[in-house]
Amino acid sequence: MQSFMEMLQSIGWAQALRESALMYPIIMSLHLTGMGLFGGMIAMTDLRILGLAFTKQPVADVHNQLRPFKHLGLTLVVTCGLLLGISKAAIYWPNPFFKLKLSLLLVVAIHALIFRGSVYSHLEEYDRTGVIPGNAKLAAALSLLLWISLVAAGRWIGYWEPAEAA
Amino acid sequence: MQFAGYDPANYPLNQNEWSFPVTEVFHIAGFALLIGTIFMVDLRLMGLGMKRQSAAEVLKGTAPWTLLGLAVVLISGPLIFLSDPVLYLNNASFRFKITMLLIAILYNWTLHRSVANKSNPGTLGVLVGGVSACMWVSVIFAGIFIAFV
Repeated sequence: MQSFMEMLQSIGWAQALRESALMYPIIMSLHLTGMGLFGGMIAMTDLRILGLAFTKQPVADVHNQLRPFKHLGLTLVVTCGLLLGISKAAIYWPNPFFKLKLSLLLVVAIHALIFRGSVYSHLEEYDRTGVIPGNAKLAAALSLLLWISLVAAGRWIGYWEPAEAA
Repeated sequence: MQFAGYDPANYPLNQNEWSFPVTEVFHIAGFALLIGTIFMVDLRLMGLGMKRQSAAEVLKGTAPWTLLGLAVVLISGPLIFLSDPVLYLNNASFRFKITMLLIAILYNWTLHRSVANKSNPGTLGVLVGGVSACMWVSVIFAGIFIAFV
C-alpha cells in the first residue's frame, strides 16, 4: 500500500502541487471555504431538526433550500481534500489520524445510507404533524458529532510525527 | 517586535501537545458556523437561495448562531495568537486577516444587517450580499496563508 501511495504522490501534478508555494495554500484555503459553506449549513439543518434554530420556518424549507449549497460546499471540500491528500499520499498514509479521517468519512456515508430513507425523506411529514421524532433528532445529533470529529481528525494529521527511524 | 515580560514558553497552550490543536478545532468549527450562516443571508440577498423565506427571516433565524460562531472565533483566535505573538504580528497575512476581519464584522452588523432587514433589498441586496461573501472568503484565505508566507 505504501508503495502505491509513493507512486500516487509522484504523479506529475501531485508533485507540482506539493512543491508549489502558491497552489498548495490556495487549494487548502478553498478546502476551508468549502468547510465554511458546508459546515455552517449542515449545522443549521441539524439544529433546525433538533428544534434549536429556525423554529419559525418549516424543517423541509430549511433542509431542501440549503441542499444545493451543501452539495456545492461538500464538492469543494472533497475535491480540494483529494488534491491535497494525493499530493502527499505517501506522507499521510502512515499517519493514524489520516486513516481515522478516512474511516470517519466512511461512517458519514453509512449515516447517509441509514437516515436518508428513514429521516430526511420524511421532513414534510414532520412539518405537517408538528412532531420531530426521536430518530430524526438522533440523526441530527450524530451528524453534528461526526462533522466535528472529522475537523478534529483533520487537524491532528498535522501534529502527528512518525517515530524516528532507528 | 518584542514584548517585555511575556514568554510564550510559559503559555499554557505551549505546555502540552493537545491544547493547541483543540483550540484550532474550536476555531474552525466556530468560523464554519459564523461564515456558513452569513453565507445563507448573502445567498438570499443575491437571490440565489432560501427564496421561500425573506432575507429578514433568514437573518432572524441565523443571527444567534452567527453571534455564537463569532464568540467562539474571538475567544479561540486570541488564545492561538498568544502562543507566539511576535511571529503573528510580523506576519503580513495575519495583519491583513485581522484588518479584513474587523471590516467584515463592522460591515456585517451594520450595513449588511440593515439591508437584509429591508422589505425589498433588490439590487442593493445583491451587491451587499456579494461583497459580504467576498470579504469573509478573504479572511479564510488570509488565515491559511499565515502558515505559508
